[in-house]
Amino acid sequence: MNPPFSFSPLQLPDALEPLRQEVRSFLADASSQWSGWKIGHSWTGFDRDFSLEVGRRGWIGMTWPAAFGGHERTGLERYVMVEEMLAAGAPLGAHWFGDRQSGPLILRLGTEKQRQHFLPLIARGEASFCIGLSEPDSGSDLASLRSRATRVDGGWRLSGRKVWTTNAHLCDFMIGLFRTGGPAEAEKHKGLSQFLIDMRSSGLEVRPILDLTGEGHFNEVTFDGVFVPDDMLVGTEGEGWAQASAELAFERSQPDRYMSSFPLIPLAIDAIRDNAQADRLAERCIGGALSELVILREMSLSILGQLEDGHSPAKEAALVKDLGNTYEQNIPELVRELLDSAPRIVPDNKLSELEGFLVQTVPTFSLRGGTREILRGIIAKGLGLR
Amino acid sequence: MSSEMNISEMLAEQVNRLLGATVNRDLRVKAENGMLDSSLWAEIENLGLTRAMCSESDGGADLRWAECEPVMRLSGAHAAPVPIGETLLASWILSSAGIKVPAGVIALATTRFAMDGQGKISGRDPGVSWLNQSGHVVLIATDSQGHDHVCLLQTSSLPAPAGLATIDRQPCATLECDGISTVQKAPAPASTGELGVLPYVATLRSIQMAGALSQILSLTIEYANTRVQFGRPIGKFQAIQHLVASLAGKAAAAQVAGLYAARQIDAGNAEDGAAIAKSLVSRYATEACAITHQVFGAIGVTDEHSLHFYTRRLWQWRAEAGSDHWWSGRLGKQVLSQPGSHLWEFVTKAQPATTLH
Repeated sequence: MNPPFSFSPLQLPDALEPLRQEVRSFLADASSQWSGWKIGHSWTGFDRDFSLEVGRRGWIGMTWPAAFGGHERTGLERYVMVEEMLAAGAPLGAHWFGDRQSGPLILRLGTEKQRQHFLPLIARGEASFCIGLSEPDSGSDLASLRSRATRVDGGWRLSGRKVWTTNAHLCDFMIGLFRTGGPAEAEKHKGLSQFLIDMRSSGLEVRPILDLTGEGHFNEVTFDGVFVPDDMLVGTEGEGWAQASAELAFERSQPDRYMSSFPLIPLAIDAIRDNAQADRLAERCIGGALSELVILREMSLSILGQLEDGHSPAKEAALVKDLGNTYEQNIPELVRELLDSAPRIVPDNKLSELEGFLVQTVPTFSLRGGTREILRGIIAKGLGLR
Repeated sequence: MSSEMNISEMLAEQVNRLLGATVNRDLRVKAENGMLDSSLWAEIENLGLTRAMCSESDGGADLRWAECEPVMRLSGAHAAPVPIGETLLASWILSSAGIKVPAGVIALATTRFAMDGQGKISGRDPGVSWLNQSGHVVLIATDSQGHDHVCLLQTSSLPAPAGLATIDRQPCATLECDGISTVQKAPAPASTGELGVLPYVATLRSIQMAGALSQILSLTIEYANTRVQFGRPIGKFQAIQHLVASLAGKAAAAQVAGLYAARQIDAGNAEDGAAIAKSLVSRYATEACAITHQVFGAIGVTDEHSLHFYTRRLWQWRAEAGSDHWWSGRLGKQVLSQPGSHLWEFVTKAQPATTLH
């Protein structure tokens, strides 16, 4: 009669409260000029100046060793900082991927030289990273990717195409997954390797792909014999699949997987109050949205605790992402039901801009970082469906 | 880990063993016909289950809610046809108020009653579970000065009402009091707020639903792995796998929510915890029942399969002690009474303030 999953509670200690208040009061100032459109981007919004300031305050690479520019704080402290940033819709994109994914990868598997060079840059907010995984013919079936790295004198030559690379046009570096072994048909997830790629390399071209919002921060990146020196291989040649999968598993239960639409709720509450629309429908919908948010946060914190204890709750993390994505996708529709706003984006109206942005962005929430279908497959397998 | 946690785990283990060995279709049907299985009840009392949260002077183990959550969850996971949860909760309320806990089944009313100058009780609760099978009933009554009292009444002093038809067909009856004397009464503890015992019953039902949901998830996985159609177990089909994964999400969230509400009670914040848990778990129970029946085909509707009993329990519990709609509305009203900027603060303060151990 034991449940087939583990979610022991994690209590955030009171000692974290000063940090929370510090981040909160910083954001109260910083956010005063942000438009609703900007807030909507949140962790995909690219703002180098903001990232430099966050770096100055010691909130990038918080858990990394001081020797590499880190601040040797706990995962719980980082969680508190991150959730405060996301609740405000802060533009984290210029440091987000480096802080969450690339930095930890380099710390874990990089060479001493890579750590010395890249980690302090990331922690200061000076180096932005993008992630080169998907290709035109390889989305969920990542093991079919074809972009290739060929060994040459002193390094590798990259050729192929990556797509859906968020902010590639603004980033300094990419960590890209390339085929170094035999062909995709024969080797699948074997024979893949990760490389640190300077986005200014010759032979590398970035072409914007316009998304539903009309913006081009998704990109296609073409590699035409791009040279990467030997010392920019990350980890072990041929082990790229396992290395990249470990990154994905870690990111699945973080607050960015259920909070993407959060900043819309407080604005909607104010509009409901201003319009005297706080009726039974509004009360029920807002109350229901709050209870789901509180429990998603409890689940996410539980996974944080399990990770800190050295466990890898892959099935549980996938569960939280599936629930969380559905939740953040529902929020703009809930607000539409309650406010029934005209389908217009009114400049300088925060609510209107944010709602307009989110309505046009939520379809990607259950795609990025593993589609809902892939996640449900992982969950089903974890539950023993054979 | 404290010794209390060991008692908690030991107790959960004993409940699991006892209910696993005794609860079956016949016992469930017997309860639906209004009969309490006295031998099972005697074993439950012998284990000290119903007094687990009472003080040691009342023969209890003084367990906190979070420590007793596994016992409550297991009573739901077995769809136990006995009032373990009701008596456990009623005994805790009596013990907290300093009233000696009587032996036998104790029912619990959730509406507020009135107490006159002579200490006589009047009022009505439209549906009290296991009332006719109980020796005593516990209720909260307000006196003319507006003070709340925990009252213990003997059911033999009450009119014997006819049983009510409910979705889960567990015994249930209307409690009518018109100037009834109490056996004992005491001022209600400060933890009994505006809603009386409702948040506690809502938490109990949330936890029991979490247990039932976890059990129907296990039944569904087992069925999907063994039921063969089109030449293979239906669990091989992606369509079924995705239904089961979705069900697992509901069951997992319910479990987290039930324990969350229990922790909130221990931290002195019963109402917010109950509102969050009951609104979420009741809603997810509805979705989970639909999913599980879809996987089971029509097998789950027959009373030859235990899913039949779990489904009706879930439909009962989701509506008892405040439905998802009622608690969501109450929570939403509270949120909408303040500017939107307060919402995030509410969320970050919504973690129980004290730790379990």
